[in-house]
Amino acid sequence: MLCFIALGVFAFLSLFSAKYRPLAARAFSCVARKMTLRPCDTGLDEEIKAASIAGIMKFSPQAASFVNRRFAAFSFAFTLLFFASFLLAAQGIANFAIYGNCNGPEGGFCIYSGIQNPAFLKAPSTLQGISAGNESARLTVFEFGCYTCPYTRDAEDTVKFMLEKYGDKVHFVFKPFPLPTHPNSKWAAVAAACAWEAGKYWEYREAIFSNQSYYREGGDAAFKATAARLNITGFDGCFDAKKFLAQIETSISEGKECGIYGTPTFFVDGKAFVGKDAAAEAKAEVERLLGVA
Amino acid sequence: MLEMDADRLREDFPILKAGKAIYFDSACTTLKPRQVLEAERAYYEQASGCAGRSAHALAKKTSEMFESSRERAAAFVNAAPEELVWVKNTTEALNLVIRSFDYSQRKKILTTRLEHHSLLLPIMEQQRRGIVKMELLKTNPDGSFDEQSIAATIDRSTALVAIHHTTNTTGMRAPLEKIIKIAHDNGAAVLIDGAQGVPHSGVDFRRLGADFLAFSGHKMLGPTGIGCLVGKSESLEKLDSFIVGGETVESVHIGKVQFMKAPKRFEGGIQNYAGAIGLAAACDYLSKIGMKNVEEHEKKLAKRMIEAVQSVPGAAIYGSPSSEKRSALVSFNLKGVKHHQVALMCDSLSKIALRSGVFCAQPAMESLGAPEGAVRASLYVYNTEKEISLFKETLEKIAKLGN
Repeated sequence: MLCFIALGVFAFLSLFSAKYRPLAARAFSCVARKMTLRPCDTGLDEEIKAASIAGIMKFSPQAASFVNRRFAAFSFAFTLLFFASFLLAAQGIANFAIYGNCNGPEGGFCIYSGIQNPAFLKAPSTLQGISAGNESARLTVFEFGCYTCPYTRDAEDTVKFMLEKYGDKVHFVFKPFPLPTHPNSKWAAVAAACAWEAGKYWEYREAIFSNQSYYREGGDAAFKATAARLNITGFDGCFDAKKFLAQIETSISEGKECGIYGTPTFFVDGKAFVGKDAAAEAKAEVERLLGVA
Repeated sequence: MLEMDADRLREDFPILKAGKAIYFDSACTTLKPRQVLEAERAYYEQASGCAGRSAHALAKKTSEMFESSRERAAAFVNAAPEELVWVKNTTEALNLVIRSFDYSQRKKILTTRLEHHSLLLPIMEQQRRGIVKMELLKTNPDGSFDEQSIAATIDRSTALVAIHHTTNTTGMRAPLEKIIKIAHDNGAAVLIDGAQGVPHSGVDFRRLGADFLAFSGHKMLGPTGIGCLVGKSESLEKLDSFIVGGETVESVHIGKVQFMKAPKRFEGGIQNYAGAIGLAAACDYLSKIGMKNVEEHEKKLAKRMIEAVQSVPGAAIYGSPSSEKRSALVSFNLKGVKHHQVALMCDSLSKIALRSGVFCAQPAMESLGAPEGAVRASLYVYNTEKEISLFKETLEKIAKLGN
């Protein structure tokens, strides 16, 4: 059974070094024979078994004996684990490519995040966006966020806390960065901009964050229904005319220039914080800079 | 006669000196001492010409080195230089005789189940072509001969008896004296596969009395790609041409060829000069040790090896358990652990090089009761009892896997 694992491993290594190709060929032959219910005749399975048992024997003869007697069962289990881990890894990579996190839209610890480093992000050069706090403050906090993303939603309480407690000392700028992987995220940004024009941005923002799935699934009707509930006049005309779409696109372009790879991303005095814990880290940095920590 | 000192000999073998392995695979091929390597190198550095063709100094030097090598290799088995044909290996020598022998009067070839494929296959191919009829001498499951049946099997219809000197599966020797006498009494020729015999015992071609003797250089400390067919001059002359080409002929005209006498008649094309020179150096090396000493050393090793393997729980040795009847070669299996796994684990755990499988002698392994194969430990002049002790310890560990 270990030939299945050997094929995967050696085929991968063969991409980088020709010396693994004969081993990959032997593993392939072995797998082909196993698949047609014939015994492996390349000897690779025996070599793997002998090397494995010899390796274990150097540490514990008893363990080697135990594994040797049950080698077929161990091989089967390892093969299943190999395929399971391969599928999970593939799923993780796909999630990472689509959602920016290997766990998908719900987030969580992701080992691939290590390959993206906030230190390489560049702070935005414009103040365009939703502005709050003290515009003349020396300290500016930028947030690149996606209205329909769970992490941006989770950061909202901390954002509110910062605005309430340090709003007089900090200039806060929200830059919409709708992720294409979240349905209706761009239209949520357009709708929020229409609400901003009508002077009801923060109410609309709170409405979206309080029930993201409703907007992800409901689309235009949900945005309009919320505007009606909040008595936002002129919303439908603004929204249908895509009045602020160009600004949202500009914000997205700016985010890309900054190297944004996940939301929310905060910049506090030029220092970037990304992902699930970004808001708390940004708050701590604000407090450190204000000397209130 | 001085006793040989294996520990001192080991200094001559670069692989052993480097501590790269405990080498127990000498039946497959032996390690090479620096004297052989230097001899081969000397050809390329000092001569590097064509023997017997060009007239310049380098060619003459090559001819001298090549023919001197023939003399020394022939002397090693007590044969005359003109009785020695250079070949690629034992396989080629066996093919040469079996395919070139005159079967016009008699068609029966006798052999045994215990032979290497290199001997069996040419006979089976000749039988497939309808040229010969193959029959088998009776052997017992322990690898010994049913000596009573030999006289009854060899008769006046027998053209050739093709048989091993020593098997590569058990290290046991055939009762050649008896077989050769009965064969000759019946007018049959005898071809000896000496691949495992010549390196391990003092084979005297003249005294043996066989018509042909084949052996390889690489199994007796020499280089690969060189071997010898030794044949009585009259027997060689009776053989048909085999590989013909440059330097096998006196003259060539379209429609008319005058071949040279043996051995040149069988040495078509440029020969493996470096190999022949290296093989002669190996013969010199073994002669210096003394083949009696080699035999004595191997007997001690065989006894110790048999005791070591027999003491391991679950070990079963193939062939006679008597060290008197075999060279230092032991084939065995461990209960509950496959032969390949045993060999691979010996390599992984203790860097012990063994052979596993059917050793290119499938019918032999079937007749010995190991159709799936076995593990083979084959020792030579450079092996020591200390190595056997480590081998025993390693086997004991591995044997526990199956018990």
